[in-house]
Amino acid sequence: MSKLENTFLKIGSVDRRWIFIIIAFVVIIPLLVPIGMPIRATDTSKDVYDAIESLPKGSKFLLSIEYSPSTKPENHPMAISILRHLFRNEHMVYVTCLWPDGQFMAQDALSQVAKGEFGKIYGKDYVLLGYRPGGEAVVKGIVSNIRKLYSVDSRQTKVDEIPMMDGITNFEDFAFLFSVSAGYPGTIEWVQYAADPTGVPMSSGVTSIQVNEVMPYVQSGQMVGVLAGMPGAAEYEALIGDKGTATSGMDAQSIAHLVIVLFIVLGNTAYFIERRKAKKY
Amino acid sequence: MILKRQIPILIVAIIGSITLFGWFIDEPHVKEFVGDDATQWYDILASFAIILGALNLIKLQIQKVLYQKPGWGYSLIAVFGFLFSITAGFFIKGVDDSVAEWGAHVTSDGTLFKWMFDYVFSPMSATMFSLLAFFVASASYRAFRIRNFEATLLLVSGIIIMIGRVPIGGVISSWFVMYIIVLCAGVYINSWKKDLKTTFTFVVICISLVTIGGFIMGWPIDQPSVFYLPSIQEWIYYYPNVAGARAIMIGIGLGIFATSIRYIIGIERSYIGE
Repeated sequence: MSKLENTFLKIGSVDRRWIFIIIAFVVIIPLLVPIGMPIRATDTSKDVYDAIESLPKGSKFLLSIEYSPSTKPENHPMAISILRHLFRNEHMVYVTCLWPDGQFMAQDALSQVAKGEFGKIYGKDYVLLGYRPGGEAVVKGIVSNIRKLYSVDSRQTKVDEIPMMDGITNFEDFAFLFSVSAGYPGTIEWVQYAADPTGVPMSSGVTSIQVNEVMPYVQSGQMVGVLAGMPGAAEYEALIGDKGTATSGMDAQSIAHLVIVLFIVLGNTAYFIERRKAKKY
Repeated sequence: MILKRQIPILIVAIIGSITLFGWFIDEPHVKEFVGDDATQWYDILASFAIILGALNLIKLQIQKVLYQKPGWGYSLIAVFGFLFSITAGFFIKGVDDSVAEWGAHVTSDGTLFKWMFDYVFSPMSATMFSLLAFFVASASYRAFRIRNFEATLLLVSGIIIMIGRVPIGGVISSWFVMYIIVLCAGVYINSWKKDLKTTFTFVVICISLVTIGGFIMGWPIDQPSVFYLPSIQEWIYYYPNVAGARAIMIGIGLGIFATSIRYIIGIERSYIGE
C-alpha cells in the first residue's frame, strides 16, 4: 500500500514538462491518425442549421467575421461550413468585419469556398465589404445606413457599382445575420444594436469560452441557436454532410480533455494521500 | 481653464444626454443623430485613436530601447515589426496595380503585407493561443483540488463540461457513470462511517440495483438521461450557467448605467485627467 501511495505522490510532484510532452502527444497523434468519433449534433447547432435551411432561395445573408488567427481552428471551420451551406442554397452573401484581422479570415474563407468550391462571382453572388473601425458604432452604422459606412468594398470598388448592393441600404434589408465571433466587438454587440431592435433573425458561432455569455441570448430567443466552439463547428460540418478540420480536431480535443481529467484525478489522489499523511503526523 | 475643463464637461454632458434620451424620444432629428451622425463621429474618432495609439506605442518602445530598460531587446523587435508593417502597408506593395490597388493590397495574395500576415503574424498568434492547452493541463493538475464543497462542485461540473462537450462524452454510457457514482459514494460513506461492512453492503446493494435496472431497460447508452454526460452538460450550460451569466450581465448593465450618469452630470471627470 505504501509503495502505491509513494507512486501516487511521485506522480503528484511530477515535473510539468512531462505534462507538456504528454499533452503534445495526445493532441498530435489523433490529428495524424484520426479515430473518427461519432459527432452528435446538439439542439443549438440544429437550430442554426434549420434557420438557414428554411431561408428562401436567393436570400440576402449578412455574414460578419470577428476573429483572428489565434482562434482560427475554432472559428474558421464555422465560417467555411456556413458559407458552404449558403452557396449550396444559392443565397447572396454580404461579408463585413468588425476585427481588422477578420478581413484576412473572410478573404481566406471566401477564396476557398466561393471561388474554389462553388465558382461564385464576386459582386453578383458575394461581396466582401471589409473592416471598419469603431466596434458597436459600426454595427449601429450598418443598422441605420450601410452606404454611409461602406462607400467602397474591400477591393476599393464603389458600392454603387456592385450589382448585388442594389436595394441594400440598411440592416433590415438582410434576411439573416450570422456572426462568427471570438470576443469584443462581436455577437453581443450584434444582438444589442442590430438584431434585437430591428427583429432581423441572427445566429452566431463563437469560441467555447464565449458560450457562457452568449447562452442567455439564445435561451431568450434573441438568437437562433449557436455554434459553440470547435464541437459546434464539427456538429455543423456533420449537419451539412461535409466533414472538415473541426471534425478531425474533435478526436484530438476528446483525447486531450480525457487526459486532462485523468491528470485532475491523479493530482487529487496525491493531494488526499499527502493530506492524510500530514494528519497522521 | 474653461477650454480645458468646463467646455469638455459640457460637450460630454450634452452629447451624452442626447445619445441617451435619443432612445426614448420619437423625434426624427434626434433619432438621426443617435443612429447615424453620432456613430460616424465615433468612427472618425476611432480612426484617430488608432493613429494616436500607434504613435504612443512606438514612442514608449523607442524610449525603452534608448534608455536600455529591462527587456529592451523585445522593444527593438516591436519597433522593427512596427516599421516593417508601416513599410508593407504604405510604401512597398510588392505587386503591380493590375494585381491589387493600394488599400486592397492588404488582403491580396502576393503582396508584402499579406505575406507578413500569413507567415509572421498568423503562426505567432496561433502559437500563443495554442500554448493555453499546455498551461490548462498543467494548472488543472496542480490547482484543481477537492478542498471544500465549492471546489468539489466546480471540479465536478468542470469535468462534466470537459467530457460532455466532446464526442468521447457521447460514447460513455449513463450506466458507466452510475457505477462511478456508486463507487464515489462508497468512498464517501467509508470516510464518514469508517466501517468496511457498511460500505461494502452499500456498494453491493447499489451496484446490484444499477445492474438490475440496466437489464430491465436494455442498457441504452443515453438513458436515464440524467446520468448521460452530454445531457448533463447541456443542462449545466442552459440553467446554472445562464443564471450566473444573466446575474453578471445585469450587474454590468447597472454599472454601465451608473457610470454613464456620472459622466453626463459631470461627477466622473477622469477623461480630462482629474
